[in-house]
Amino acid sequence: MAIPAISDQDFDRLTRAYPSDRRYALAVMQDMQRRYNYIPPEGLTALAEYLNCPVAELYSMATFYKALSLKPKGNHIIKVCDGTACHIRGSVNLLNGIMAALGIGPEETTEDGEFSLELVNCLGSCALAPVMVVDGVYYGKVTLESLPDIFNRLREGAAV
Amino acid sequence: MNITIDGKPCVCEPGEYLLDVARRNRIVIPTLCHHDGLPGQGCCRVCIVEVEIRGRRNIVTSCVYPVERECAVFTDSDAVNQQRRVVLALLRSRAPEADRINRLCKLYKVPEYERFASKSGEKCILCGLCVKACQSLGTGAIAAMNRGVEKEVSTPYDKPSDDCVGCGSCAAVCPTGAIEVKEDAASRAIWNREFRLRICERCGQPAGTMEELELAARKSGAEPSALCGECRKKAVADAMAATYGV
Ligand code: SF4
Ligand code: FES
Ligand code: FES
Repeated sequence: MAIPAISDQDFDRLTRAYPSDRRYALAVMQDMQRRYNYIPPEGLTALAEYLNCPVAELYSMATFYKALSLKPKGNHIIKVCDGTACHIRGSVNLLNGIMAALGIGPEETTEDGEFSLELVNCLGSCALAPVMVVDGVYYGKVTLESLPDIFNRLREGAAV
Repeated sequence: MNITIDGKPCVCEPGEYLLDVARRNRIVIPTLCHHDGLPGQGCCRVCIVEVEIRGRRNIVTSCVYPVERECAVFTDSDAVNQQRRVVLALLRSRAPEADRINRLCKLYKVPEYERFASKSGEKCILCGLCVKACQSLGTGAIAAMNRGVEKEVSTPYDKPSDDCVGCGSCAAVCPTGAIEVKEDAASRAIWNREFRLRICERCGQPAGTMEELELAARKSGAEPSALCGECRKKAVADAMAATYGV
């Protein structure tokens, strides 16, 4: 996957809404994550300069929050629930199925940059167990048979 | 205000930290994460003592406990010793290579607890003193990275940091010697980066890294010093002596 380099204009656009103050660090990094699917190193350095704070402080935040990632995430983010209810209803099988289909484990991204896999705890929809969420869309009572279809449609960029 | 520590009457100001009062009165309380220049960490809990106010006893953390009313303090009671042993045992499993912790364990007769898995090769207890020292110098080259069991102090991306000036303050404040500094006559290596040392023009001893001398110069608005700390003091004294003719 081509990782977009972050230009000066991009950076200005990212920080335009935020004054140069440390307390906006998290907000800007969230925007950065949304736009680039990760926190690029040059983005981190530019932000440190903009907020007048050490890079180490931002890096520390970026490694603390799960919502931020220092490695590029895929275009589609698959969250598999392994909360108690989903676990009992076979989330492990579901996870194994996804791992086999995509060739990646939790916290990994496919080489083509299409999918990232995350293992999460209860998503609050236990009645639908086992649950998986892809790009914010909930899939309940997921079966192994339905997986190829879902992934193919996502790959083709079709609306789900 | 009057308090007693282990039966000894001590005078203190309201709000003074208990540890400071004890030390002033030569009463030893063990500490790890406390540093006089960077107070307030309060995270290792080795410095716990028991405080009795109106007949009620409580365990408190002496380095961050402000004395606010008259009380009787016990630094060596059964409750203190028992809890301190557990604290030390936990710290020992976290940082089994830390000599200072092992010495404290011996001193306080900490038994082996097999239930605590130990982190082999580790010296750091994540007290954060090093990070605070670096921040207070205005460099901020290191910070706590990751979280949970993976938390560690490091530079961004574990790479040599442009912010680091190689002053070694982090290593100097570390209670457990967890930060590696390698130094020879001409260079110093710390946090994966190598620094050239400037040699004192007077005595020929290392005066510090170029970067740290430049940082100090920027702060004071003077030229980077060509002398080491000792010789600088001597130079000032000589100048005074010349001026006042003593
Ligand atoms: S390296 Fe030393 S000073 Fe820094 S957190 Fe670890 S134990 Fe504390
Ligand atoms: S356990 Fe999976 S949604 Fe609650
Ligand atoms: S010295 Fe008081 S908590 Fe560490």
